[in-house]
Amino acid sequence: MLRIRFHGRGGQGVKTSSRILGRAAFSAGFFAQDFPIYGAERRGAPVTAFTRISHSPIMERGYIFNPHIVVVMDETLLADAQARPLEDLPRGGVALINSARGPIFSEDQAGHVFMRINFTDPALRIIGKPIVSVSAAAAAAKLCGLRKQHVEEAVREELSELGVRDELLEKNLMLMSETYDNTPRYSIKVDEERVGAVELVDPASGRVVYSDVFAAGNAVHRATGNWRVFRPVVDYGKCTGCKVCFIYCPDSAISLDAENKPVIDYEHCKGCLICVVECPIRAISSVREVEIFA
Amino acid sequence: MTRYKTLRDFPVEEYLSPGSTMCAGCGAMLVLRAFHKVLGPNVVFVNAAGCLTLLQVYPYTPNKSSWMYTAFASAPAGAQGIRDALDILMEKGRVNSFEDLKVVVVTGDGAAYDIGLQSTSGAIERGLDFYYLVYDNEAYGNTGFQKSGATPYGSATATTPPTERNPTGYTGVKKDLFEIWRSHKPPYIATVAPSHMVDMLRKIETASQFKGPKLFIAFSSCPTGWGFDPSLSVRISRLAVECGIWPLKESVYGKVRHTYIPTVLKPVEEYLRHQNRFRHLFTPRKQETAIASIQEQVNNYWLEAAKNEGFRITVAKPVTIAPP
Repeated sequence: MLRIRFHGRGGQGVKTSSRILGRAAFSAGFFAQDFPIYGAERRGAPVTAFTRISHSPIMERGYIFNPHIVVVMDETLLADAQARPLEDLPRGGVALINSARGPIFSEDQAGHVFMRINFTDPALRIIGKPIVSVSAAAAAAKLCGLRKQHVEEAVREELSELGVRDELLEKNLMLMSETYDNTPRYSIKVDEERVGAVELVDPASGRVVYSDVFAAGNAVHRATGNWRVFRPVVDYGKCTGCKVCFIYCPDSAISLDAENKPVIDYEHCKGCLICVVECPIRAISSVREVEIFA
Repeated sequence: MTRYKTLRDFPVEEYLSPGSTMCAGCGAMLVLRAFHKVLGPNVVFVNAAGCLTLLQVYPYTPNKSSWMYTAFASAPAGAQGIRDALDILMEKGRVNSFEDLKVVVVTGDGAAYDIGLQSTSGAIERGLDFYYLVYDNEAYGNTGFQKSGATPYGSATATTPPTERNPTGYTGVKKDLFEIWRSHKPPYIATVAPSHMVDMLRKIETASQFKGPKLFIAFSSCPTGWGFDPSLSVRISRLAVECGIWPLKESVYGKVRHTYIPTVLKPVEEYLRHQNRFRHLFTPRKQETAIASIQEQVNNYWLEAAKNEGFRITVAKPVTIAPP
């Protein structure tokens, strides 16, 4: 699967760009997904959009955190602390940047490939506005290996849906064609595809701090044990294995061993102490918590 | 025959992982966990805005099953969509019958009693084959405990605080959702409480044999909103049942039966006095009239039920207990 993330500003055509790319891929026979995210802000504010392209049905949902290509439609966003367009771009990933300066190809220390193409000036020359949706889509499509005819078809359909009149549509097609031709062919080599449950391990503690969204029951990676002020402690000498504490633990933080005796998961027990109150023979006591888990 | 005779029969399989964002001592979690255990792994929950919505905070979920979030008013409509889609796909042979899912709507009382009432009514009317679980904590708990249609008489909430002019807190009555639903004649309705776990497990089991709407109102003690120590969550639930505040009953095609009869009702004060939301009824001065009125509502309810179903019950007289 190819994951492309677009960064731009409200009014530049970021969302349209991701849609054109998605539709071009779809026309070419791929499975595609595209969607934008923008907050309560308006024109000029950072906007992000996403496109996924795949040979098989796309089961992945949500924002793209591990893009193969980031398209930066306004180069000032590279330094924007909110937009952070290069975040999680892997070694070998391409940052396609709308820029009037600098070499076409360069590489930074992290192994990101920077490709600079001028979107804005041709847009001003041909359509008379700094709207670069078509240019960004065309350049990204070429990087993805899509054919020009599919991009053309997508531009026609997407812009017609937006109510763009014929004359302007033709100009946009010229702009698309020019940008497509000006974009060098490049085959993307990224280190590896992350598959299955993705986990991010905190190097200091060795604990899993982020878990893939598809891993069912992954809330287990959230330690809620630090909520606790008092810790329930089972007196196994008294415990009869009646299961009451297990039944009344709202957080599934008590499991049972082979003899039905409770095993308290202190990493998650929030210290509500229902088990202390409900234990019919008072075999669980509460002790002031002094350990720290996180 | 029931699989659930004693607490020892409580299923061991766990479908909710620890590490959720719910408050310590959350009553709704006790209910949801029990439901999931009885219904098994093949369920899809359809949720409307409420506390439990925050179970799924990206990228984390405690669920080992599926969960769909809908707008506040439209959880039953979402359930209809899923049910229809599954039925059609099974008919076309694109989904195997062993992949079928039970569709369970999970909402708080805000969605069930107020905002989603009309879409629930529509779903029951259409005979949608689904479960509906309301975790009723008697106010909009997720947003700071504002009054809902489920708020009982005398409760203080963020929007019905006791004041000098109105010292009682909320002075209306709790909507009778059980009767609103019953007027639609669905196959099964029940009230449940986490303290009476065997009763709850059996009711979910009983409901499973019916096709059509299967509706549950669950007492969900709320340490944060009601103001009591989290460790008392189950004890408060038990008091609510023993005092007669929360009757445990079921309705099968409209015929009501109480499944647990607290033969000698405890005075409601025993339930009220443990909770900050009723504290103004006891201090700075005790509001005898308000408390007596709550007792009277409970007594009338049970005397009527005893007459209809032919059981004996001893109601409580308002008694005086020193404020806590």
